[in-house]
Amino acid sequence: MSDLDSPERLFSSVALERRIAELTILYEVSRALQKTVDEEKALYTILVGVTSGRGLGFNRAFILLIDSDTQYLKGRLAIGPSSTEEASRIWQELRDEHWSLAELLSSLDRSGIKKDLRVNEIVDRFHIPLAEENNSLVRIMRSREACRANNGVFDPHGLPVEERLTELLGIDSFAVAPLYLADRELGVLIADNAITRAPIDVTNLRLLQIYAQAASSAIQNTRLYRELMEKIVVGEQVNLTLRESQHHLLQAERLSTIGKMAALLAHEIRTPLVSIGGFARRMLRSAPPEDPRREEMGIIVSEVHRLEKLVDEVLGYSRISKPEYKPTDINGLIRSVMITMQEELQKGSIRPELDLDSRLPRAEADEALLRQALMNLVSNAIEAMPTGGTLTLATSFDEKYFEIEVTDTGVGINREHWDKLFTPFFTTKTTGTGLGLAIVSQVIENHKGSLRFESIPMKGTSFHIRLALHPEHTIPPDALPNGDSVPREVRP
Amino acid sequence: MKTILVVDDDKNLRRLYKAELEAEGYKVRLAENGRQAMDLVAEKTPDLVIMDIRMPDMDGLEAMVRVLREHKSVPVILNTAYSCYQDNFLVWAAEGYIIKSADLQPLKNKIREVLGCTAAA
Repeated sequence: MSDLDSPERLFSSVALERRIAELTILYEVSRALQKTVDEEKALYTILVGVTSGRGLGFNRAFILLIDSDTQYLKGRLAIGPSSTEEASRIWQELRDEHWSLAELLSSLDRSGIKKDLRVNEIVDRFHIPLAEENNSLVRIMRSREACRANNGVFDPHGLPVEERLTELLGIDSFAVAPLYLADRELGVLIADNAITRAPIDVTNLRLLQIYAQAASSAIQNTRLYRELMEKIVVGEQVNLTLRESQHHLLQAERLSTIGKMAALLAHEIRTPLVSIGGFARRMLRSAPPEDPRREEMGIIVSEVHRLEKLVDEVLGYSRISKPEYKPTDINGLIRSVMITMQEELQKGSIRPELDLDSRLPRAEADEALLRQALMNLVSNAIEAMPTGGTLTLATSFDEKYFEIEVTDTGVGINREHWDKLFTPFFTTKTTGTGLGLAIVSQVIENHKGSLRFESIPMKGTSFHIRLALHPEHTIPPDALPNGDSVPREVRP
Repeated sequence: MKTILVVDDDKNLRRLYKAELEAEGYKVRLAENGRQAMDLVAEKTPDLVIMDIRMPDMDGLEAMVRVLREHKSVPVILNTAYSCYQDNFLVWAAEGYIIKSADLQPLKNKIREVLGCTAAA
């Protein structure tokens, strides 16, 4: 017998190989686990490591975890064939493909989790109250020492395996390894050789124990990751809300400055206007009918009237911050706006067209403000069609929102003005305050609605107002109009 | 003849209101600010006060409250270029709230309504 074959040497060489195998498995599985942030996937990876021939090589594996809400040890996931035939087919496949454990684990990412039905039915039936201190699984978890059962008896304690456990697993020999962290227990990992009936030796058990420790950290990692993600989501929401409030604050501040300025200006301008206009009216009243200056006095009176209306518009703008919401008949409102604007429409040779969905329910809105917004849009549309055209007002709705569309066939809005369109006091017209669209925008914002437009030069512009329907009038989806079958009111 | 006290810091407006209201048959007295108004009311209670709001020294709302405290029976019509005061609860104490306009008809109508008669009696 040479030195090389001495029993000590043989023993240490086998031990070394074992050790290397252990480390390789741990290395490969922990690498796969590091990439896993989803708990379900991590559990599956752990189970694959336990059952793969190139891993720990058990036939089946089960994970039970503590449900901290209910204080139960509950079955979570299992892996393994349900019969010898299935087992040999799977193992043959794996052998044919010559996959390493690492390859097998990374293939999980591509193929996703496939649940073995039979073993998962078994695992789902594990439901052990933690208060049952004498339950062998609870006891092993608490002891933090792996333990194996041989023919219905736990080694080395000699305690019998509960009948219920044997029944559930369908076998009386298996290994149990605790899953735990420094400060608390997580659950247990059960592994057996239900198909091959191969005995579980001490080395297998020790390997399972070490493996269970790596698995515990992996489970904890996924939980920490999930908590972190939840916190990030909350953080993002807070951030978003903050940014929204900041936007509203800035907007409110800007408007309040404008409002104050406008009111101040209005007061300053209105007082001399009252004098000018008031005295002009007096002179006009007292002038004899044949007085040639009557016409000129009339001009002063009407121009002062025009300026007063302008001041009203500015004051109106500073007033719109307090809407009063009531269920409003939007179609009715649109018709009444068109009636008000009838004279201007006729003067401008503009053909009005109404395309109103007669099933539009009443909507939560401040009628006066919305009327003002619509009047402004209609006025703009009329001014955009100096040589006449068609003005279309349309309504439509879905489960939650309704939309008003104001479309003209006018000159369109120059692209360079798109950004500033809703800015107060911005105007491209020689007359007007530049408040028309700013008022529309502010009214819609106060209604928590949205406003958008599209415009093609020399073709026309279309404004879309989108607002929430009154919640009481929200309609069930099956009552919704679909496509062309919508009954629409079309009036010239 | 009913007496109306017009309180306004703008001298042109005081002149306009005086001329227009006298033409309607009222006796018109004028005050430039709240303090003067209080003195004039104390001197001889008018049938009606037309009060501007934004004035230097003492604003019209304060003047109205002080006048009403001492002479509960005097009706006051607030006459202002501001619409924003409409939200002020003090406005409720007034008989009317008129936005200043070159067209004095709304003011004249309100005066008639408050005094409960057609012109001077």
